[in-house]
Amino acid sequence: MKFLLYVLLALVVVPLQTTLLHYAGVFGVRPDLGLIAACLVGFLGGELDGLILGLMLGCFQDMLSAGDLWINVVTKGGSGFLAGLAGRHMAHITPAVMTAGLAIISCLSSAVFLYSMNPAGLDEVWLGVRSTVLVQAGLDAAVGAGLYLLFRQRWSDDRMVTEGAL
Amino acid sequence: MAISRSTYGTRRLAIVLFACLLVALLLLPSQSQRLLQYVGGPLGQVLSLPLAAFSSVDHGIADMWNGYVALQSVHEENRQLHRDIELLKGQNNQLRESMTAVQRYETLLNFKQQSPSQTLAAQVIGRDATNWYRGMILNKGESDGVRTEMGVITPAGVVGRVVKTNSTSSVVLLVTDPNNAIAGVVQRTRDEGIVEGTSHGRARLKYIPLLSRVQAGDRVVTSGLTGAFPRGLAIGSLIQVEKSEGDLFQSAEIEPEVDLSKLDEVLIITAPYEDADAAQKLLQAIHGDRKKP
Repeated sequence: MKFLLYVLLALVVVPLQTTLLHYAGVFGVRPDLGLIAACLVGFLGGELDGLILGLMLGCFQDMLSAGDLWINVVTKGGSGFLAGLAGRHMAHITPAVMTAGLAIISCLSSAVFLYSMNPAGLDEVWLGVRSTVLVQAGLDAAVGAGLYLLFRQRWSDDRMVTEGAL
Repeated sequence: MAISRSTYGTRRLAIVLFACLLVALLLLPSQSQRLLQYVGGPLGQVLSLPLAAFSSVDHGIADMWNGYVALQSVHEENRQLHRDIELLKGQNNQLRESMTAVQRYETLLNFKQQSPSQTLAAQVIGRDATNWYRGMILNKGESDGVRTEMGVITPAGVVGRVVKTNSTSSVVLLVTDPNNAIAGVVQRTRDEGIVEGTSHGRARLKYIPLLSRVQAGDRVVTSGLTGAFPRGLAIGSLIQVEKSEGDLFQSAEIEPEVDLSKLDEVLIITAPYEDADAAQKLLQAIHGDRKKP
């Protein structure tokens, strides 16, 4: 049941990301809803949930992106897993922790993208960091924290240990 | 008994007075009229006060009825008219949008008919799923005959090339993406180079010969050397030529001809030249003739 829910979530999030989200862009950079969804589920549902949703989202995103076919699968799956690990070692997840965690994971994910682009020199790396990595990290953190606050009432503060349920 | 007699006397007196009045009215009509007018003046004034009061109440009630109770239907009618206006505004907007779309399709169709290439019209249905690639998603895929490496254009010029396809959609890497490379030629000087995207959302013509006299404002078109595009499609105009000492080539920044942020419909080049088979045979024939001697 949960797996189906994740499939549905992925089927909603990725088309939303490619179509309507450019209205929410800042300096031409959009929040990565796939990454946010994977991280939120990882934080709250555990690393396996985060990993599975991340892999699904990454797979769908790769189909609708001009980049290599592995890159979103790896970054989104990794982000979900990392968020799950981070969430497991925290006694209590607060919006501030969520914001910081999302920003860090977003930066790490963007670093993989930046590396895969084969930047010509430090200037291009710095340009990528300034124009995309930091902006996207801020957006991801803000949107993720907002969604967490929105849905916090529906989740109990105790993390759902659901590996067996899948 | 006394009361009864008094009442009787008063009644008789009243009857007598009424009879006198009737007689006076019948026998002396004009005089009685004047008398009545004389008496009626002050009576009218006295009456006018309650009359005005009642009249104002009456008007108040009428106003209230007309302004509130009876206006229920007007209010509803007003709301209906507002709804109609909104509906008509929406329809008007849709018609304007349709008219713009028809104009765009007309331009696209004219270009398609005049183009030497076989093309397939497609709609832009989305943007790249990440922030790292300048790409867009088209609504035509492998089932429509779209394959990777096919060129994508508009009547204005080159848009990019197809890099991914599935059965129903395809992903196009725009000409402004750093991972894209298209063979281009400067229209005025015929110097060839490679057009690559830049990190700033523009394009750059690289590998221009050092002795070339290219200058800002020169137009760059496709050279036709790569398979995706026929010769002569507009890519953009040079805005700045850079020549560093010690470099083997010049390079120049290009402002793309097509506004890539406002694309709705594009053409996918399925075959760069209309009669590809004939062109192939002609080439083979030429090569064959060369080999004979």
